[in-house]
Amino acid sequence: MTNDDLFAKIQARWPAVLKASIPVKDYLTVRIASPDELVPLASFLRDEGFDMLDMLTATDHLGPVNMSGFIRQPNFNPFLPEGATPEIESAASAGYPYRPAMDLLWSFVSVANKNRVIVRLEIARQGVRVPSLTGLFKSADWQERENFDLLGIQYDGHPNLTKILTPDFLQGHPLRKDYVHIKDRFDE
Amino acid sequence: MSNQVTNAPSNSPVKTDQLFINLGPQHPSTHGVLRIGLTIEGEIIIKAVPDVGYLHRGTEKLAEVRGYHHCVVLSDRWDYVSAMPNNLVFCLAAEKLLGVKPPPRADALRVVMCETNRIASHLLFLGTYGIDLGAFTPFLYAFREREMILDLFEMLCGARLTYNYIRLGGVMVDVSPEWTARLKEFVEYFKPRLDEYDTLLTYNPIFMSRTKGVGLISAKEAVDWALSGPNLRGSGVNYDVRKHEPYCGYEQYDFDVPLGETGSCWDRYFCRAQEMRQSLRIIEQALAKLPEGPFMATGVAKIPKPAAGEAYAHVEASRGDLGIYLASDGGISPFRMHVRAPSFANLAILQEKLTGMKISDVIALLGSTDIVLGEVDR
Repeated sequence: MTNDDLFAKIQARWPAVLKASIPVKDYLTVRIASPDELVPLASFLRDEGFDMLDMLTATDHLGPVNMSGFIRQPNFNPFLPEGATPEIESAASAGYPYRPAMDLLWSFVSVANKNRVIVRLEIARQGVRVPSLTGLFKSADWQERENFDLLGIQYDGHPNLTKILTPDFLQGHPLRKDYVHIKDRFDE
Repeated sequence: MSNQVTNAPSNSPVKTDQLFINLGPQHPSTHGVLRIGLTIEGEIIIKAVPDVGYLHRGTEKLAEVRGYHHCVVLSDRWDYVSAMPNNLVFCLAAEKLLGVKPPPRADALRVVMCETNRIASHLLFLGTYGIDLGAFTPFLYAFREREMILDLFEMLCGARLTYNYIRLGGVMVDVSPEWTARLKEFVEYFKPRLDEYDTLLTYNPIFMSRTKGVGLISAKEAVDWALSGPNLRGSGVNYDVRKHEPYCGYEQYDFDVPLGETGSCWDRYFCRAQEMRQSLRIIEQALAKLPEGPFMATGVAKIPKPAAGEAYAHVEASRGDLGIYLASDGGISPFRMHVRAPSFANLAILQEKLTGMKISDVIALLGSTDIVLGEVDR
């Protein structure tokens, strides 16, 4: 089954599902309109042979990254004079539509048909809640925990949604663009 | 008396207390800093909770303020045992964004380096897996050969583990005729060694009885947990990115994908042992028809600024399907980089698989998944 056939099949059932305006290069990328469509679409894809949930991740689109989220000084070169231009800085890129939105992404792989389809969902970044896919794919377990930990996304129905990578005392979600690091006893 | 654990089986009317033990974080057989919280009853594991994150360095965050060339350096630090595929996958993703195509010689050199690195990585697995299960001798042999590969890499790019050799648009430096001759020498030297390992470890009766039929993972489970690499192929699932979605011209090389049968620890081990032979075949073919020409594409900027867009690239790294999702906002650093780390997915299955196993089999299963914690935690 080609990607066009698959997309036609998806659109016949969910007319609101569109091809993403910014696709992930070389792969079929579809955009769902609301979190409610995720679980039916995922189980449809699983029945179509996409039996592996290969990757799930998300991007925070709120502006360029906040430099105070990093522990080190932007000028890590000790030979530079006091007050020199920072070597590392984050700058807004002209023309890019920064917006307070979180872009969630699920990547399904069909092992038998050698195909990959990417499903994405854009959602307001305050209090992101999406259904968990742990009921359909076991691999969602840790990857959803990772996204919960680093991006603060709530997955409804996850059996054990706890921190996985960052230490217990760390406040906030580091991969959010507005994350600010609070100094702790390990910084000195 | 109440804290004493007897050897009564769990279904006997004599109830023993449950005991919580920590495996790790500083346990030699975890091959890094991994902690597994084991709740045991007698010899049987009731509950296993892998705890990761001890090595979390936040490379995905660090990448957001570094240029694309700098991110290649970050990539070395994920799977430090086989860093070449890490460099490669980041470069492939960035090249997709930049629209750069590396010249054929660079592609062939990338293949040679990745396969040589795969042998080094599998040798480390082979040696340490033997040690985990009490066979000390193969470790010395495996490290003797691994040392030769590391020497080759040192001769090539100056580093033994974190190479930063594969760069955007090509490779760092061309290989010299002396280097190629030495690699060919190594290939010839290494071929009979593989049979030696088979007699030392693969078909060693003690080793086989420790691993055959232990830690069975069915094909369906393996796909469901998104395992990849030899862990997935050990369960008999034919999925190899080099065949599935060829990159760097892998389609022109003739090689087989070794598959296991039952998905036991031995099958996973066997897949890796066989993969080394296939890697040798690929290296030989690549060296035989190494194309002439430049080793670096022209037109890669010193400070690349790809147009806004998103790309996903994945390669068959030594531990499985390593993928990079890269989003650009048109600036000098990636807007978002996500690493789909094979070890992270391979480790997640342990919480389910360890339950019900005996303590002595924990190491056999953990060792056979061949994780590198640098990649799990990133």
